[in-house]
Amino acid sequence: MFKLSEIKELIKLVDQSSLEELEIQNEGSKLLIRKPGKPEQIVVAAQPAVPAAAYAAPQAQPAAPQVSVHSEVNVESPAADKSHLHTIASPMVGTFYHAPSPDAPPYVSAGSRVKEKTVVCIVEAMKLMNEIEAEVNGEIVEVLVENGQLVEYGQPLFLVKPE
Amino acid sequence: MPKHMTKSEDTMKERLLTLLQEEPGRYWSGEELSRLLGCSRTAVWKQMQNLRKDGYEFDSAPRRGYRLTGEPSRMSAAELAACLRTKTIGRSLKLLEQVGSTQTHIHELVRQGCPEGTLVLAEEQTDGRGRMGRHWHSPKGKGVWMSFVLKPAIPLACTSQLTLLTAVALCRTIRRETGVEAGIKWPNDLLARGKKFSGILLESGAEDNRLTHVVFGIGIDANLTEADYPDELKERATSLRIESGAAVDRVQLVCRFLEQFEELYDLYLREGFGPIRTLWEALSVTLGRHVRVQTPTGSVDGTAEALDESGALLVRTREGERVRVFSGDVSL
Repeated sequence: MFKLSEIKELIKLVDQSSLEELEIQNEGSKLLIRKPGKPEQIVVAAQPAVPAAAYAAPQAQPAAPQVSVHSEVNVESPAADKSHLHTIASPMVGTFYHAPSPDAPPYVSAGSRVKEKTVVCIVEAMKLMNEIEAEVNGEIVEVLVENGQLVEYGQPLFLVKPE
Repeated sequence: MPKHMTKSEDTMKERLLTLLQEEPGRYWSGEELSRLLGCSRTAVWKQMQNLRKDGYEFDSAPRRGYRLTGEPSRMSAAELAACLRTKTIGRSLKLLEQVGSTQTHIHELVRQGCPEGTLVLAEEQTDGRGRMGRHWHSPKGKGVWMSFVLKPAIPLACTSQLTLLTAVALCRTIRRETGVEAGIKWPNDLLARGKKFSGILLESGAEDNRLTHVVFGIGIDANLTEADYPDELKERATSLRIESGAAVDRVQLVCRFLEQFEELYDLYLREGFGPIRTLWEALSVTLGRHVRVQTPTGSVDGTAEALDESGALLVRTREGERVRVFSGDVSL
Protein backbone atom coordinates (compact mmCIF):
# COMPACT_ATOMS: atom_id res chain seq x y z
CA MET A 1 0.00 0.00 0.00
CA PHE A 2 1.00 3.60 -0.48
CA LYS A 3 1.72 5.83 2.49
CA LEU A 4 -0.61 8.74 3.01
CA SER A 5 2.33 11.14 2.72
CA GLU A 6 3.24 9.61 -0.65
CA ILE A 7 -0.31 9.96 -1.90
CA LYS A 8 -0.41 13.58 -0.78
CA GLU A 9 2.86 14.27 -2.59
CA LEU A 10 1.57 12.62 -5.75
CA ILE A 11 -1.67 14.58 -5.66
CA LYS A 12 0.36 17.76 -5.44
CA LEU A 13 2.50 16.73 -8.40
CA VAL A 14 -0.47 15.76 -10.54
CA ASP A 15 -2.26 18.93 -9.57
CA GLN A 16 0.66 21.08 -10.75
CA SER A 17 1.12 19.15 -13.97
CA SER A 18 -0.87 18.98 -17.15
CA LEU A 19 -1.55 15.32 -16.51
CA GLU A 20 -5.14 14.21 -16.64
CA GLU A 21 -4.52 11.00 -14.89
CA LEU A 22 -1.75 9.13 -13.11
CA GLU A 23 -1.67 5.45 -12.38
CA ILE A 24 1.01 3.70 -10.37
CA GLN A 25 1.27 0.02 -9.67
CA ASN A 26 3.48 -1.15 -6.85
CA GLU A 27 3.65 -4.60 -5.28
CA GLY A 28 0.07 -5.46 -5.97
CA SER A 29 -1.33 -2.06 -5.05
CA LYS A 30 -2.62 0.29 -7.62
CA LEU A 31 -3.04 4.03 -7.26
CA LEU A 32 -5.07 6.00 -9.73
CA ILE A 33 -5.36 9.78 -9.63
CA ARG A 34 -7.63 11.32 -12.19
CA LYS A 35 -8.55 14.93 -12.88
CA PRO A 36 -11.91 15.03 -14.65
CA GLY A 37 -12.08 18.81 -14.95
CA LYS A 38 -11.10 20.04 -11.49
CA PRO A 39 -12.21 17.97 -8.53
CA GLU A 40 -9.52 15.36 -7.94
CA GLN A 41 -10.47 11.88 -7.08
CA ILE A 42 -8.18 9.27 -5.78
CA VAL A 43 -8.94 5.60 -5.83
CA VAL A 44 -6.67 3.13 -4.21
CA ALA A 45 -7.50 -0.43 -5.00
CA ALA A 46 -5.70 -3.15 -3.13
CA GLN A 47 -4.67 -6.08 -5.31
CA PRO A 48 -7.12 -5.54 -8.10
CA ALA A 49 -7.75 -8.71 -10.03
CA VAL A 50 -9.30 -6.80 -12.90
CA PRO A 51 -8.13 -3.21 -13.27
CA ALA A 52 -11.32 -2.10 -14.99
CA ALA A 53 -13.34 -2.22 -11.81
CA ALA A 54 -11.24 0.44 -10.17
CA TYR A 55 -12.07 2.89 -12.91
CA ALA A 56 -15.79 2.63 -12.37
CA ALA A 57 -15.60 4.78 -9.26
CA PRO A 58 -14.48 8.13 -10.76
CA GLN A 59 -17.73 8.36 -12.71
CA ALA A 60 -19.36 9.53 -9.49
CA GLN A 61 -18.02 13.11 -9.95
CA PRO A 62 -17.77 14.24 -6.31
CA ALA A 63 -18.14 17.92 -5.54
CA ALA A 64 -15.01 18.05 -3.42
CA PRO A 65 -11.66 16.30 -3.65
CA GLN A 66 -11.92 13.01 -1.95
CA VAL A 67 -9.72 10.08 -1.12
CA SER A 68 -11.34 6.71 -0.96
CA VAL A 69 -9.56 3.53 -0.13
CA HIS A 70 -11.29 0.31 -0.91
CA SER A 71 -10.56 -3.12 -2.20
CA GLU A 72 -11.89 -4.82 -5.27
CA VAL A 73 -14.69 -6.76 -3.58
CA ASN A 74 -16.35 -3.58 -2.36
CA VAL A 75 -17.31 -2.48 -5.84
CA GLU A 76 -20.70 -4.06 -6.04
CA SER A 77 -23.04 -1.90 -8.04
CA PRO A 78 -24.19 -4.22 -10.82
CA ALA A 79 -24.64 -1.35 -13.27
CA ALA A 80 -21.08 -0.26 -12.81
CA ASP A 81 -19.62 -3.73 -12.65
CA LYS A 82 -17.11 -3.83 -15.43
CA SER A 83 -15.01 -6.62 -14.00
CA HIS A 84 -15.81 -8.93 -16.88
CA LEU A 85 -14.49 -6.41 -19.37
CA HIS A 86 -11.04 -6.35 -20.88
CA THR A 87 -9.15 -3.07 -20.66
CA ILE A 88 -6.91 -1.93 -23.46
CA ALA A 89 -4.31 0.27 -21.84
CA SER A 90 -1.75 2.60 -23.35
CA PRO A 91 1.71 1.05 -23.44
CA MET A 92 3.39 4.45 -23.50
CA VAL A 93 3.02 8.16 -22.87
CA GLY A 94 1.78 10.01 -25.91
CA THR A 95 -1.07 11.45 -27.87
CA PHE A 96 -4.10 9.27 -28.49
CA TYR A 97 -5.55 9.23 -32.01
CA HIS A 98 -8.70 7.35 -32.88
CA ALA A 99 -8.00 7.48 -36.63
CA PRO A 100 -4.99 7.30 -38.96
CA SER A 101 -5.62 10.84 -40.21
CA PRO A 102 -7.91 13.74 -39.25
CA ASP A 103 -10.36 13.08 -42.09
CA ALA A 104 -10.40 9.31 -41.73
CA PRO A 105 -13.14 7.53 -39.80
CA PRO A 106 -12.16 6.22 -36.35
CA TYR A 107 -10.60 2.76 -36.23
CA VAL A 108 -13.29 1.68 -33.77
CA SER A 109 -16.09 3.13 -31.69
CA ALA A 110 -18.47 1.77 -29.08
CA GLY A 111 -20.16 -1.28 -30.56
CA SER A 112 -17.36 -2.15 -32.99
CA ARG A 113 -16.45 -5.81 -33.25
CA VAL A 114 -12.73 -6.40 -32.84
CA LYS A 115 -10.34 -9.28 -33.22
CA GLU A 116 -7.01 -9.71 -31.45
CA LYS A 117 -5.12 -8.08 -34.31
CA THR A 118 -7.58 -5.26 -34.97
CA VAL A 119 -5.89 -1.87 -34.71
CA VAL A 120 -7.98 0.21 -32.31
CA CYS A 121 -5.96 3.43 -32.14
CA ILE A 122 -2.58 5.08 -32.46
CA VAL A 123 -0.53 6.53 -29.63
CA GLU A 124 2.06 9.02 -30.85
CA ALA A 125 5.16 10.29 -29.15
CA MET A 126 7.85 12.24 -30.99
CA LYS A 127 6.50 11.20 -34.37
CA LEU A 128 6.57 7.54 -33.50
CA MET A 129 3.14 6.26 -34.36
CA ASN A 130 2.42 3.18 -32.31
CA GLU A 131 -0.50 1.08 -33.45
CA ILE A 132 -2.41 -0.47 -30.58
CA GLU A 133 -4.16 -3.77 -31.16
CA ALA A 134 -7.26 -5.06 -29.39
CA GLU A 135 -5.56 -8.19 -28.00
CA VAL A 136 -8.92 -9.93 -27.55
CA ASN A 137 -11.86 -10.90 -29.71
CA GLY A 138 -14.98 -9.05 -28.70
CA GLU A 139 -16.91 -5.83 -28.80
CA ILE A 140 -15.81 -2.33 -27.83
CA VAL A 141 -18.03 -1.21 -24.96
CA GLU A 142 -16.54 2.15 -24.23
CA VAL A 143 -13.87 4.53 -25.56
CA LEU A 144 -12.39 6.10 -22.46
CA VAL A 145 -10.31 8.91 -23.98
CA GLU A 146 -10.83 11.75 -26.40
CA ASN A 147 -9.12 12.02 -29.76
CA GLY A 148 -5.94 14.08 -29.41
CA GLN A 149 -5.76 13.62 -25.65
CA LEU A 150 -2.43 13.04 -23.90
CA VAL A 151 -2.42 9.58 -22.35
CA GLU A 152 -0.13 8.21 -19.71
CA TYR A 153 1.63 4.88 -19.49
CA GLY A 154 -0.90 2.22 -18.49
CA GLN A 155 -3.90 4.51 -18.89
CA PRO A 156 -7.03 2.59 -19.92
CA LEU A 157 -8.14 3.50 -23.44
CA PHE A 158 -10.95 1.08 -24.21
CA LEU A 159 -13.21 -1.38 -22.47
CA VAL A 160 -13.90 -4.52 -24.47
CA LYS A 161 -16.48 -7.19 -23.84
CA PRO A 162 -14.59 -10.36 -24.69
CA GLU A 163 -16.33 -13.09 -26.67
CA MET B 1 25.28 -6.65 -58.16
CA PRO B 2 24.59 -9.82 -60.15
CA LYS B 3 26.10 -12.82 -58.44
CA HIS B 4 28.29 -13.76 -61.38
CA MET B 5 30.03 -10.38 -61.38
CA THR B 6 33.33 -10.58 -59.59
CA LYS B 7 34.84 -7.95 -57.39
CA SER B 8 37.60 -7.14 -59.88
CA GLU B 9 35.03 -6.65 -62.62
CA ASP B 10 33.17 -4.30 -60.38
CA THR B 11 36.32 -2.29 -59.70
CA MET B 12 36.99 -2.20 -63.42
CA LYS B 13 33.55 -0.81 -64.04
CA GLU B 14 34.24 1.95 -61.55
CA ARG B 15 37.61 2.74 -63.10
CA LEU B 16 36.06 2.85 -66.52
CA LEU B 17 33.43 5.23 -65.28
CA THR B 18 36.03 7.45 -63.63
CA LEU B 19 37.91 7.70 -66.91
CA LEU B 20 34.84 8.54 -68.91
CA GLN B 21 33.77 11.17 -66.41
CA GLU B 22 37.19 12.81 -66.34
CA GLU B 23 36.69 14.78 -69.51
CA PRO B 24 33.04 15.16 -70.25
CA GLY B 25 32.21 15.10 -73.91
CA ARG B 26 35.46 13.48 -74.98
CA TYR B 27 35.45 10.31 -77.08
CA TRP B 28 37.52 7.37 -75.95
CA SER B 29 38.45 4.61 -78.34
CA GLY B 30 38.05 1.02 -77.27
CA GLU B 31 41.75 0.48 -77.78
CA GLU B 32 42.68 3.41 -75.58
CA LEU B 33 40.35 2.26 -72.82
CA SER B 34 41.58 -1.31 -72.91
CA ARG B 35 45.20 -0.09 -72.64
CA LEU B 36 44.44 2.28 -69.72
CA LEU B 37 42.42 -0.33 -67.85
CA GLY B 38 44.76 -3.18 -68.66
CA CYS B 39 42.08 -5.46 -70.05
CA SER B 40 40.71 -6.71 -73.34
CA ARG B 41 38.41 -4.67 -75.54
CA THR B 42 35.75 -7.29 -74.98
CA ALA B 43 36.05 -6.69 -71.23
CA VAL B 44 35.71 -2.95 -71.78
CA TRP B 45 32.63 -3.51 -73.88
CA LYS B 46 31.15 -5.76 -71.22
CA GLN B 47 31.64 -3.15 -68.51
CA MET B 48 30.16 -0.54 -70.81
CA GLN B 49 27.05 -2.69 -70.98
CA ASN B 50 27.01 -2.95 -67.20
CA LEU B 51 27.18 0.81 -66.89
CA ARG B 52 24.32 1.09 -69.36
CA LYS B 53 22.28 -1.15 -67.13
CA ASP B 54 23.03 1.21 -64.27
CA GLY B 55 21.51 4.02 -66.30
CA TYR B 56 24.56 5.66 -67.83
CA GLU B 57 24.18 6.77 -71.40
CA PHE B 58 26.80 6.66 -74.16
CA ASP B 59 27.05 7.34 -77.76
CA SER B 60 29.55 5.72 -80.02
CA ALA B 61 30.94 7.04 -83.28
CA PRO B 62 32.91 5.09 -85.84
CA ARG B 63 36.67 5.49 -85.37
CA ARG B 64 36.20 7.86 -82.47
CA GLY B 65 34.94 5.49 -79.81
CA TYR B 66 32.62 6.01 -76.88
CA ARG B 67 31.42 9.13 -75.15
CA LEU B 68 29.49 9.49 -71.92
CA THR B 69 26.34 11.46 -72.60
CA GLY B 70 24.19 10.96 -69.58
CA GLU B 71 24.49 10.14 -65.92
CA PRO B 72 21.72 8.09 -64.41
CA SER B 73 19.00 9.80 -62.50
CA ARG B 74 18.14 6.34 -61.26
CA MET B 75 19.57 4.34 -58.46
CA SER B 76 20.36 0.71 -59.02
CA ALA B 77 19.91 -2.02 -56.47
CA ALA B 78 23.26 -3.46 -57.56
CA GLU B 79 25.03 -0.19 -56.92
CA LEU B 80 23.38 0.14 -53.53
CA ALA B 81 24.26 -3.38 -52.52
CA ALA B 82 27.86 -2.89 -53.62
CA CYS B 83 28.23 0.42 -51.82
CA LEU B 84 26.51 -0.46 -48.56
CA ARG B 85 28.66 -1.54 -45.62
CA THR B 86 26.12 -2.32 -42.93
CA LYS B 87 25.59 -5.44 -40.88
CA THR B 88 21.81 -5.63 -40.89
CA ILE B 89 20.05 -2.73 -42.54
CA GLY B 90 19.63 -3.15 -46.26
CA ARG B 91 21.08 -6.67 -46.35
CA SER B 92 17.75 -7.44 -47.91
CA LEU B 93 16.79 -4.59 -50.17
CA LYS B 94 14.19 -3.76 -52.73
CA LEU B 95 14.32 -0.82 -55.11
CA LEU B 96 11.01 -0.02 -56.75
CA GLU B 97 10.47 2.15 -59.77
CA GLN B 98 7.19 3.41 -58.38
CA VAL B 99 5.17 2.68 -55.27
CA GLY B 100 2.23 4.19 -53.42
CA SER B 101 4.27 4.57 -50.26
CA THR B 102 7.43 2.73 -49.19
CA GLN B 103 6.04 2.78 -45.67
CA THR B 104 2.83 1.02 -46.62
CA HIS B 105 4.78 -1.40 -48.79
CA ILE B 106 7.14 -2.44 -46.03
CA HIS B 107 4.29 -2.98 -43.59
CA GLU B 108 3.05 -5.60 -46.01
CA LEU B 109 6.51 -7.20 -46.13
CA VAL B 110 6.58 -7.25 -42.33
CA ARG B 111 3.25 -9.08 -42.31
CA GLN B 112 4.79 -11.62 -44.65
CA GLY B 113 7.66 -12.11 -42.23
CA CYS B 114 10.53 -10.28 -43.93
CA PRO B 115 13.89 -10.31 -42.14
CA GLU B 116 15.03 -7.54 -39.82
CA GLY B 117 16.82 -4.80 -41.71
CA THR B 118 14.75 -5.15 -44.88
CA LEU B 119 14.96 -1.91 -46.86
CA VAL B 120 12.55 -0.59 -49.46
CA LEU B 121 13.42 2.35 -51.69
CA ALA B 122 11.43 3.86 -54.51
CA GLU B 123 12.29 6.24 -57.30
CA GLU B 124 8.81 7.67 -57.01
CA GLN B 125 6.00 7.59 -54.47
CA THR B 126 2.53 8.36 -55.73
CA ASP B 127 1.07 8.45 -52.25
CA GLY B 128 3.99 9.37 -50.01
CA ARG B 129 2.79 10.14 -46.53
CA GLY B 130 3.91 11.85 -43.37
CA ARG B 131 2.45 12.18 -39.92
CA MET B 132 -1.32 11.76 -39.61
CA GLY B 133 -1.81 10.87 -43.25
CA ARG B 134 -0.30 14.09 -44.54
CA HIS B 135 0.92 14.00 -48.11
CA TRP B 136 4.66 13.85 -48.78
CA HIS B 137 5.67 15.23 -52.17
CA SER B 138 7.99 12.59 -53.71
CA PRO B 139 8.70 13.17 -57.42
CA LYS B 140 10.48 10.64 -59.59
CA GLY B 141 14.22 10.22 -59.37
CA LYS B 142 14.72 13.35 -57.29
CA GLY B 143 14.80 12.19 -53.76
CA VAL B 144 15.41 9.40 -51.34
CA TRP B 145 12.15 7.78 -50.39
CA MET B 146 12.78 4.78 -48.20
CA SER B 147 11.63 2.62 -45.33
CA PHE B 148 13.32 -0.09 -43.34
CA VAL B 149 12.35 -2.33 -40.47
CA LEU B 150 14.10 -3.22 -37.21
CA LYS B 151 13.09 -5.34 -34.26
CA PRO B 152 14.78 -3.72 -31.27
CA ALA B 153 14.64 -5.46 -27.91
CA ILE B 154 13.82 -2.29 -25.99
CA PRO B 155 10.88 -1.30 -23.79
CA LEU B 156 7.93 0.00 -25.75
CA ALA B 157 8.00 3.25 -23.79
CA CYS B 158 11.52 4.02 -25.08
CA THR B 159 10.71 3.50 -28.74
CA SER B 160 10.10 7.16 -29.48
CA GLN B 161 13.77 7.86 -28.70
CA LEU B 162 14.53 6.15 -31.99
CA THR B 163 12.93 8.99 -33.91
CA LEU B 164 15.46 11.40 -32.41
CA LEU B 165 18.26 8.94 -33.12
CA THR B 166 17.21 8.75 -36.76
CA ALA B 167 17.31 12.53 -37.06
CA VAL B 168 20.79 12.67 -35.53
CA ALA B 169 22.13 10.01 -37.91
CA LEU B 170 20.67 11.76 -40.94
CA CYS B 171 21.74 15.23 -39.89
CA ARG B 172 25.33 14.13 -39.28
CA THR B 173 25.44 12.30 -42.61
CA ILE B 174 24.12 15.26 -44.54
CA ARG B 175 26.57 17.67 -42.97
CA ARG B 176 29.43 15.35 -43.74
CA GLU B 177 28.42 14.34 -47.26
CA THR B 178 27.01 17.56 -48.64
CA GLY B 179 28.33 20.34 -46.43
CA VAL B 180 24.79 21.64 -45.99
CA GLU B 181 24.36 23.18 -42.53
CA ALA B 182 21.51 20.98 -41.49
CA GLY B 183 19.81 21.29 -38.12
CA ILE B 184 17.12 19.34 -36.30
CA LYS B 185 13.76 20.79 -35.41
CA TRP B 186 12.08 18.82 -32.63
CA PRO B 187 11.49 16.01 -32.83
CA ASN B 188 13.03 14.99 -36.13
CA ASP B 189 12.53 17.37 -39.04
CA LEU B 190 15.70 18.43 -40.81
CA LEU B 191 16.03 22.05 -41.82
CA ALA B 192 18.47 24.17 -43.75
CA ARG B 193 18.10 27.96 -43.56
CA GLY B 194 14.80 27.36 -41.79
CA LYS B 195 13.33 25.27 -44.59
CA LYS B 196 12.53 21.60 -44.34
CA PHE B 197 14.24 19.12 -46.62
CA SER B 198 13.66 15.86 -44.81
CA GLY B 199 10.99 14.17 -42.79
CA ILE B 200 11.11 11.08 -40.63
CA LEU B 201 8.16 8.98 -39.56
CA LEU B 202 8.32 5.88 -37.41
CA GLU B 203 5.55 3.36 -37.04
CA SER B 204 5.67 0.53 -34.59
CA GLY B 205 3.71 -2.54 -33.76
CA ALA B 206 3.27 -4.13 -30.37
CA GLU B 207 1.90 -7.33 -29.01
CA ASP B 208 1.06 -7.85 -25.33
CA ASN B 209 2.75 -4.54 -24.55
CA ARG B 210 5.93 -5.73 -26.20
CA LEU B 211 7.47 -4.03 -29.17
CA THR B 212 7.45 -6.32 -32.18
CA HIS B 213 8.95 -4.07 -34.84
CA VAL B 214 9.60 -0.49 -35.84
CA VAL B 215 9.30 0.76 -39.40
CA PHE B 216 11.50 3.76 -40.17
CA GLY B 217 10.24 5.98 -42.98
CA ILE B 218 12.58 8.62 -44.33
CA GLY B 219 12.09 11.15 -47.08
CA ILE B 220 15.00 13.30 -48.23
CA ASP B 221 14.61 16.03 -50.81
CA ALA B 222 17.96 15.39 -52.45
CA ASN B 223 17.94 16.69 -56.01
CA LEU B 224 14.69 18.57 -56.32
CA THR B 225 14.99 21.92 -58.05
CA GLU B 226 12.80 24.96 -57.45
CA ALA B 227 10.68 23.83 -60.36
CA ASP B 228 9.92 20.52 -58.65
CA TYR B 229 8.06 22.16 -55.78
CA PRO B 230 4.43 23.09 -55.92
CA ASP B 231 3.78 26.70 -54.91
CA GLU B 232 2.45 25.88 -51.48
CA LEU B 233 5.74 24.17 -50.58
CA LYS B 234 8.21 26.67 -52.07
CA GLU B 235 8.29 28.83 -48.96
CA ARG B 236 8.78 26.00 -46.51
CA ALA B 237 10.72 23.33 -48.36
CA THR B 238 14.15 23.06 -49.88
CA SER B 239 16.48 20.39 -51.22
CA LEU B 240 20.11 19.46 -50.70
CA ARG B 241 20.78 20.39 -54.31
CA ILE B 242 19.29 23.85 -53.86
CA GLU B 243 21.25 24.32 -50.63
CA SER B 244 24.61 22.96 -51.76
CA GLY B 245 24.47 23.97 -55.41
CA ALA B 246 25.40 20.48 -56.54
CA ALA B 247 23.55 17.30 -57.36
CA VAL B 248 23.69 14.70 -54.62
CA ASP B 249 24.73 11.12 -55.25
CA ARG B 250 21.70 9.44 -53.73
CA VAL B 251 23.29 6.01 -53.50
CA GLN B 252 26.21 7.40 -51.50
CA LEU B 253 23.83 9.35 -49.31
CA VAL B 254 21.66 6.33 -48.56
CA CYS B 255 24.63 4.09 -47.81
CA ARG B 256 26.50 6.57 -45.62
CA PHE B 257 23.29 7.35 -43.75
CA LEU B 258 22.45 3.72 -43.05
CA GLU B 259 26.00 3.08 -41.85
CA GLN B 260 25.85 6.09 -39.56
CA PHE B 261 22.42 5.03 -38.34
CA GLU B 262 23.61 1.53 -37.54
CA GLU B 263 26.58 2.90 -35.63
CA LEU B 264 24.38 5.14 -33.46
CA TYR B 265 21.78 2.42 -33.05
CA ASP B 266 24.44 0.05 -31.67
CA LEU B 267 25.62 2.81 -29.36
CA TYR B 268 22.04 3.36 -28.20
CA LEU B 269 21.50 -0.35 -27.49
CA ARG B 270 24.76 -0.44 -25.51
CA GLU B 271 24.60 2.84 -23.61
CA GLY B 272 21.05 4.06 -23.79
CA PHE B 273 19.63 7.41 -24.81
CA GLY B 274 22.22 9.60 -23.03
CA PRO B 275 24.81 9.90 -25.82
CA ILE B 276 22.10 10.25 -28.49
CA ARG B 277 20.46 13.04 -26.54
CA THR B 278 23.76 14.92 -26.34
CA LEU B 279 24.27 14.59 -30.10
CA TRP B 280 20.69 15.67 -30.72
CA GLU B 281 21.11 18.76 -28.56
CA ALA B 282 24.27 19.73 -30.43
CA LEU B 283 22.41 19.65 -33.77
CA SER B 284 19.16 21.15 -32.54
CA VAL B 285 17.77 24.36 -33.97
CA THR B 286 14.90 24.22 -31.47
CA LEU B 287 16.48 24.49 -28.02
CA GLY B 288 16.81 27.93 -26.53
CA ARG B 289 14.37 29.37 -29.05
CA HIS B 290 10.88 30.65 -28.69
CA VAL B 291 8.51 28.06 -30.07
CA ARG B 292 4.85 27.53 -30.62
CA VAL B 293 3.76 23.93 -30.52
CA GLN B 294 0.45 23.08 -32.08
CA THR B 295 -0.88 20.03 -30.25
CA PRO B 296 -4.18 18.29 -30.92
CA THR B 297 -5.67 19.92 -27.84
CA GLY B 298 -4.34 23.44 -28.26
CA SER B 299 -1.08 25.29 -28.63
CA VAL B 300 1.79 25.82 -26.23
CA ASP B 301 3.90 28.97 -26.44
CA GLY B 302 7.22 29.38 -24.73
CA THR B 303 10.93 28.77 -24.73
CA ALA B 304 12.16 25.32 -25.71
CA GLU B 305 14.40 24.57 -22.76
CA ALA B 306 15.52 20.99 -23.01
CA LEU B 307 14.80 17.42 -23.93
CA ASP B 308 13.78 15.18 -21.11
CA GLU B 309 15.13 11.66 -20.75
CA SER B 310 12.34 10.24 -22.91
CA GLY B 311 12.94 12.70 -25.73
CA ALA B 312 9.94 14.91 -24.97
CA LEU B 313 10.41 18.66 -25.40
CA LEU B 314 10.28 20.78 -22.26
CA VAL B 315 8.76 24.16 -22.94
CA ARG B 316 8.77 27.00 -20.38
CA THR B 317 5.72 29.14 -20.85
CA ARG B 318 5.57 32.86 -20.15
CA GLU B 319 3.72 32.07 -16.93
CA GLY B 320 6.74 30.06 -15.83
CA GLU B 321 5.11 26.69 -16.18
CA ARG B 322 7.19 23.87 -17.62
CA VAL B 323 5.23 21.78 -20.09
CA ARG B 324 6.29 18.41 -21.50
CA VAL B 325 5.41 18.06 -25.14
CA PHE B 326 5.11 14.61 -26.67
CA SER B 327 3.66 15.44 -30.04
CA GLY B 328 2.73 18.39 -32.12
CA ASP B 329 3.95 20.73 -34.83
CA VAL B 330 6.66 23.08 -33.73
CA SER B 331 6.99 26.49 -35.34
CA LEU B 332 10.15 28.41 -34.59
